[in-house]
Formats: sequence, C-alpha cells, structure tokens
Amino acid sequence: MAQESLLVSAFYLLVFTAVLVTYRVLRGPTLPDRVVGLNTITTKVVVIIAIVSVMRGEYYLIDLGIVLLMVNSVGGLLLAKYMERGSRSAT
Amino acid sequence: MSRVPFYLKERLEALNEKVLRERLEASNLPSWERVIFTWVTLMVFWIVISTNATPENLSLGAAVTLLIALFMRDLLTKDMRRSGHVVEKILYFSLIYLPQYLVIMAFRLLESNLKVAKNVIFMDINPGIVKIKTDLHSDTGITILANSITLTPGTLTLDVKKKLGETYLYVHWIDLETLNREKAGEKIKGDIEEWLKKVFW
Amino acid sequence: MRPEVLLLLFGESIMLFGALGILRFPDVYTRLQAASKCDTGGAMSIILYLVITMDAPALVRAKFLVLAFLIAMMNPMVSHALARAAYRYGVVPKVVVDMYAWDNP
Repeated sequence: MAQESLLVSAFYLLVFTAVLVTYRVLRGPTLPDRVVGLNTITTKVVVIIAIVSVMRGEYYLIDLGIVLLMVNSVGGLLLAKYMERGSRSAT
Repeated sequence: MSRVPFYLKERLEALNEKVLRERLEASNLPSWERVIFTWVTLMVFWIVISTNATPENLSLGAAVTLLIALFMRDLLTKDMRRSGHVVEKILYFSLIYLPQYLVIMAFRLLESNLKVAKNVIFMDINPGIVKIKTDLHSDTGITILANSITLTPGTLTLDVKKKLGETYLYVHWIDLETLNREKAGEKIKGDIEEWLKKVFW
Repeated sequence: MRPEVLLLLFGESIMLFGALGILRFPDVYTRLQAASKCDTGGAMSIILYLVITMDAPALVRAKFLVLAFLIAMMNPMVSHALARAAYRYGVVPKVVVDMYAWDNP
C-alpha cells in the first residue's frame, strides 16, 4: 500500500535527521549548543510518535507525544534559568 | 549632583507604570464575561483531550472546569481590549481576526522555511542585533508578538525591555538590511502588530 | 499521486534542511533560528498531512490539531528563552552590529 510505504520512509528519514543532529549534541563547543540539539531531537521524536500512532492505528500514543512535548518545554526553560544564574555567580 | 536625575528617572518610571496599570484596569472586561470565556476555553480543551463525549464525562468536565474558571478568571483574559458587545466581539474574532492571523502566519512560515533552506545552501548570512519599538504594553500581547517575530523569516527575539512606559524588543536578524529603528520595525513586524492592537491591550 | 503528498515531502525536506543548518551555521543564534523555524514548519506540515489522510473519528483528529497548536506555541518560546540564556551565559555572537551590548554593558 502506497501510504504505508510513504509513512515508513518518512519515519526513517526523521530518524536519519535525528542522528545528524546528534553530532551537534556530542561535539558542540558550548553548553547552549547541546541544549539546542536536544530540543530539536525531542521535537523530531514527537513527530515520530505521531507517525507511529497513525501507522499502527493506536491513537492513545498521541497523549504520550503531548506529555513529552510539555516536559521538553519545561526542561528547556529550566536549563535556560540554570545557565543565566550560573553565569551571574561565576563572573 | 549626578544623583538627582537618577532619582527623577526612577520616580518618573514608577509614576508611568502606575498610570499604565490604571488604564489597563479600566479597560478590562466585566467579570462574568471573563468567567464564561475561561470556562468555554477549558471545556473545549477537556473534550478534545479526553476524546469521550458521553453525558457523564461532559457533566464531570463542566463541573470541574467551572470551579477552575471561577478561581482563575484573570489568567487568560486579563489583557483583552474592551470594545463593543460580547456577541459582536466573538463573531468578529472568530470570523475575521483569527482566519486573517492564521493565513498571514502560514504564508510567513512557508517563506521563512524556504529562506532558511536558501541560507543553508548558499551561506550568505550577515547577522546583526537590532532594537525595535512596539506599541503593545500587556504581557499576552508582547508574548504573541515575540512568538510571531520568531516565526517570521530571518528574525529571532532576544529580549524584551520596558522603559518609561514604552516597550523595546531586541531582535537577532540574520540578514541585516537597515539600522534605522522605524524602517527595521516596519520590516520585521509587518502587519502583525496592527492585528494584535485590535484585540489585546 | 494525490496532492496531500506534497505536504509530507515538504515537511521532510524542511526537517532535513533544518538539521543541515544546525550542523553548518557558525554560532548559537543562527543555529537556534534554523532549529526553531524548520522544526515548527516541518512538524506542522507533517501533522497536517496525517490529519488529512487518516481514517479516524473527528475527536482524534482534533487531538492531532491540538498537538500542532502546542508545537507552534511552545517551540518559539523555548528558543527565545535559550537565546537570552546563551547571551547571559557569555556566548559572544558573531554579528556586524550588536545593539544589545550597547545598552547592557
């Protein structure tokens, strides 16, 4: 079926882009680079969860995506606060 | 001698803040409209999240969201402008303003994606940080304006600063064209600010 | 070929260009621009394709639209917070003009 193969190809391409971004997480010169890479990977994982839930017809998985997105945003804000405060005490 | 202007500036800033706050209080919606607006928003979110339209689920959701809306009525609707009758306002918002905003932002997002792809291929970047001025004063309006600026082509909001009753935004611009504040503001904000000034304070 | 497939292909290519942008751009702020714009646009177009083509009750489709709305609200907010935190952390931007450093010495 055409739509199934399209979704599978989309799944593998998203995993490939996530692996590309992993280079920035491992190699990034500063801390904000790594955080940017992690946020990008998490957004890609949310889209992957949506694709999988449509492919297998199990729509409860989308709750997992929403919760992962909210945890990602809260974690990003927390890391941003941590970076601001650490700089102020260091300098 | 150099201390007096500092004191004067602080006093003036506090006074200006107070005047702005009073004008915002005077332009609020009445409280029952705020309660009903928050209730309807929370109810729609409840129905969509629970994916279940049986009567007992709906009644349970209505009770819980009414209780929350009575307490939290200022959270969502604090910064809305007061103008006209309720029905007229809701009709204007849902039939004219919201589709207009969605269409504007969809085309801006498409354009910005294509522009990032072009920048990645050719690497013709010329970045700079500029400062622009907005006419919005409330928190919700500034938040939505900053998010829209981040999604428009080539710009990223860095910081917001309020000084003497005027609001300034620092914007990281990937393709610097002009340094003049008015021209840069016109190019960056476009017609989004005109739209936001009709709804938010 | 139906025309909705264009949405999926557009989202995929935009995601790929966003990842390449994160690899190729010189400093944090330009990388952040590529990340926020390309992730939001690509994710929204892929989710729109899923909503159009799947066969499910209307409430499930509304749930997918809520997911798209949350992505569009939260992604620029986190990128804004990270940009300011990176500036305060001490990452010097490679820019021509820096008006933020003029006002906050």
